[in-house]
Amino acid sequence: MQRFVIYSSVILLASSILFSCDVVINPELEKSDSVLVIDAWLNNAMGAQQIRLTRSQPYFERALPSGVSGAIIHVTDQNNQVYPFGETAPGVYQWTPAGNEVFGRVGFTYKLFVQVGAETFISEATMGRAPAIDSITFFLEPGGQFFDDLYQAQFWATDPQEPNDSYWIKTYKNGAQLLKPNEIITAYDAGFSKGGNFNGVPFIFPIRTAINPFDEDKNGKIKSPYVVGDSVYVQIQSVTEAAFNFLNEVRIQIDRPGGFGELFATSLANVSSNITNTNAKGSNVLGFFNVGAVTGLGRKFKSLDDLSQK
Amino acid sequence: MRFFILLCLVHSSALAQSKFTISGYVKDAANGEALIGATIYVKSLNTGATTNVYGFYSITLESRAYDIDISYIGFATQSKLLVLNENTRLDVELKAEGKQLEAVVVSSTRDEEGVKALEMSTNRLDIKTILKIPAFLGEADVVKSLLQLPGVSTVGEGASGFNVRGGSVGQNLILLDEATVYNSSHLLGFFSVFNPDAVKDTKLYKGAIPAQFGGRISSLLDVRMKEGNNKDYEINGGVGTIFSRASVEGPLFKGDGSFIVAGRRSYADILARPFVDVLKDGGALNFYDFTGKANYNINKRNRIFVSGYTGRDIFFFDRNQGFSWGNNTGTIRWNKIFNDRLFANFSGIFSRYDYSLQFGENDRDNFRWKSSIRNITFKPSFSYFLNTNNEISFGAEVNYYSFEPANAFGTSNGNRIDISLPEKYNLESALYLGNNQHLSPKTSIEYGLRYSYFAGYGPGKQFTYNDTIPGRRRNPIAEESISKGETTATYHNFEPRFSFKTELSDVSSVKASYTRMAQYLHLISNTTASNPLDVWTPTSNNIKPELADQWALGYFRNFGKEQTFEFSVEAYYRKTQNQIDYIDGADLLINEYLEGDLLTGVGRAYGMEFYLQKKVGRFTGWVAYTIARTELKVEGINRNEWYAARFDQTHNLKITSFYDLNKRWSASANFTLVSGTPSTFPTSRYMVQGMLIPYNALDSRNNVRLPAYHRLDLSFRLEGKTVKRNGNARKNSDYWVFGVYNLYARKNPFSIYFTQGKDRVTQGDPINSEARQLSIIGTVIPSVSYNFKF
Repeated sequence: MQRFVIYSSVILLASSILFSCDVVINPELEKSDSVLVIDAWLNNAMGAQQIRLTRSQPYFERALPSGVSGAIIHVTDQNNQVYPFGETAPGVYQWTPAGNEVFGRVGFTYKLFVQVGAETFISEATMGRAPAIDSITFFLEPGGQFFDDLYQAQFWATDPQEPNDSYWIKTYKNGAQLLKPNEIITAYDAGFSKGGNFNGVPFIFPIRTAINPFDEDKNGKIKSPYVVGDSVYVQIQSVTEAAFNFLNEVRIQIDRPGGFGELFATSLANVSSNITNTNAKGSNVLGFFNVGAVTGLGRKFKSLDDLSQK
Repeated sequence: MRFFILLCLVHSSALAQSKFTISGYVKDAANGEALIGATIYVKSLNTGATTNVYGFYSITLESRAYDIDISYIGFATQSKLLVLNENTRLDVELKAEGKQLEAVVVSSTRDEEGVKALEMSTNRLDIKTILKIPAFLGEADVVKSLLQLPGVSTVGEGASGFNVRGGSVGQNLILLDEATVYNSSHLLGFFSVFNPDAVKDTKLYKGAIPAQFGGRISSLLDVRMKEGNNKDYEINGGVGTIFSRASVEGPLFKGDGSFIVAGRRSYADILARPFVDVLKDGGALNFYDFTGKANYNINKRNRIFVSGYTGRDIFFFDRNQGFSWGNNTGTIRWNKIFNDRLFANFSGIFSRYDYSLQFGENDRDNFRWKSSIRNITFKPSFSYFLNTNNEISFGAEVNYYSFEPANAFGTSNGNRIDISLPEKYNLESALYLGNNQHLSPKTSIEYGLRYSYFAGYGPGKQFTYNDTIPGRRRNPIAEESISKGETTATYHNFEPRFSFKTELSDVSSVKASYTRMAQYLHLISNTTASNPLDVWTPTSNNIKPELADQWALGYFRNFGKEQTFEFSVEAYYRKTQNQIDYIDGADLLINEYLEGDLLTGVGRAYGMEFYLQKKVGRFTGWVAYTIARTELKVEGINRNEWYAARFDQTHNLKITSFYDLNKRWSASANFTLVSGTPSTFPTSRYMVQGMLIPYNALDSRNNVRLPAYHRLDLSFRLEGKTVKRNGNARKNSDYWVFGVYNLYARKNPFSIYFTQGKDRVTQGDPINSEARQLSIIGTVIPSVSYNFKF
């Protein structure tokens, strides 16, 4: 949570007096068999729901993973209503609603059933709630010695009074999802982690403003996250506590800025999965099953008149 | 305890008819500093004693005349003829040997620590040696100098602390004038908190730790501060690349006492200020420390010392964002000589470590977090010099700790929310008794027992956690409120200590030791390197005390003309219990349920340490080579099999050398060659929700070694002129140090990490995955410093 500040102060300090060196290398990695990956994140938005089955690849294989075909997949709710998922493309399994039907209800528990060959994989998740996004505002971070004027956005939503809500906050800039490792934004209630007791308040500032993409131009200068004409869409998706932990573990593993941040990094570890093989001695499985409610709001940055206070 | 003192008093008077005691202090004639480990040698009996950490000795002999030599390396030996017909107080001041000679005698160990001494697994570095070792950015550093010794290692540049014989950073007890130093680092881990101007002596115990000490299971670093010159005023100072230093010392009470105050401050911020706007708006970027000590001889039998340290690192972007950490310690000591044979010291000690971290925009949106650990200690210790063959030590220690894991609050849009965690209170106390016994002129043993007791006190909460698959987070299932004064978990341990030495000849000896240690405070850290935000947490109903048993066997030998060379080899085996590790994805900061994220297991460490030192001549120095293995076995990690600890290094070779070119120029060089530390590499990658996740299909921990680390450092020292142009001697002295760190610019790996890189990926495109090697210092670093004394 405090990572940003630590990294930045350390890097600032360090770069002023020291010279670190960071290069790409090509180490030999241990060989291993591929493992089934079940990517099952379902939500109550309008439209079809998809589950993807793939296999893990060698770490340095820079290609899209191939799909796993021929599986039998369905999801069952606590009233034994069955949602069948049929294969529409290799490895892509889809449930298509009839009419205005949506998948899932807040508070309901869902069971995942995946059969691949002779093996069966199961999981379970309960759909949490997501607060509505009231507004999105833009503000100006005036430029200084290290960067030019930065136009930033923040979203306003208030976490419910009762504790133990967890969320994944996704941002789309001009329709494209922000997917950099440091753009995996999670919240526990209105704060960063469990036990923070941020309840019944707007999401805290670092979360409200986490929807800003920071990219550098060719000269290494930070570009303004948004400029006039850009649009931003924010989606809050409720996640189970297990999924919240999963997302945080993923971020720890993949958000590696290098440099002096490595002094604060933990060693590589496998992230958890909530999917199990019904045969404990059977093959491994990776991936995650979550059912979530979603809310969303978009806004276009039309002109500088849209700016308001931080 | 009182009974024991009484017994000693009675005993000594009963014996006084036939035997008499010579006792007193040995000091440096130039400045009155007590000499630690000076030798008092009785020629006719081929026996003797050494001075303790306060410079005191006591030796009891039959009534007759003796020739006595008092000696200390680098000082002229004094011989005394003494007719012993009553208890005699003999305080001795030794004069340093001529300057010419001093310049060519460099020694990292003193006579009593070589072949003849009972001690093993210890290394003493005197401040003169530390000042000569080439240092990073030219800043002589107590902790970094330790890395030149066998059995001592680090995970890399910038890491806080050091590792001893397979122990983690948090398993070292670091004492500054007996006060615990919880974090020994400035600027993450680049420099240590000890100001060399104020340090007199450092001694590292890697094993065979006397019963007097306890509380950590790996090692003890005992740093003793200078007392200050009680004859003349003296000002020392220096201007270096990082710090500027100044110290003042001088007599108090007409020479019955003395004082020293020393300070250092980094000035990167001052240099940067014209170029960096942020520092003007409440920003700060510096670190400093102040050390002070004073002492007063009340009379011949009573002496008091007061010493203190405060130091802080401050990194603030602006007034709302940044972090800071620092140690504060204070020690009051009273040396009391009850009688010629019973020496006592009573210490009252205070120590506090704290850090704070904050970020935010303004008063409506911010986050503040403070954490601290503090302790108050009372420690009476006694040495009873029973006779020439037995020196009994006994005493007690009471530590009261308070932990403040998080005093934290956040404000969101004006709503202030307290996320503080409750404080924790603990008591750690110990009793010890030991005896250092000469069985024969050639054979000595030391045996002792320490009994330690640890308890937690309310107010507070304690949790019970569920059982789950090992390696997964355990969730609290029951919560119990503990009211004020009520005890929570209590533990106690017996910690036996044993050492043995026998001399095979005049120039060789064999030594062996066994040490059991218990540790009740745990440094919680799962990062690659230890860092200042690591949290100390006490033993509780869920965390058991860490225990270690260490066996060591050593062979010591001197050879060459005038015993120019000293050689030793030691083998050790260390077995540990209740070692702490962490679940994957553990949340260690501001987590009330932290204990649910901890795992425990067992450890084993073994190795051999070779040490060869050339002590005399224009060319001096030492070679230290260690071959070692450190492993852990923790349920839920690495398929429940043994795995190498993060700081495991198979080979560790250090060469330290000093050469006097001429009267004014001297050179020194360091060479370091160590095996790479272990790291965990992935085998595979997979995609979930557009995120590319690394995966180790074999579920291994630390399955790969980083490439080896090697580095050469050089430094040259130029002594200032000793005579003025008109031919008169200069009163002041000064010297320059020119240094080069990492002479051949080796890019030593600190870590290899796996990343998808910084580029933005379009959804649906394959994601890049690459391995990157980071060198914290990837270039040559030159330095220059100027030091003076007047």
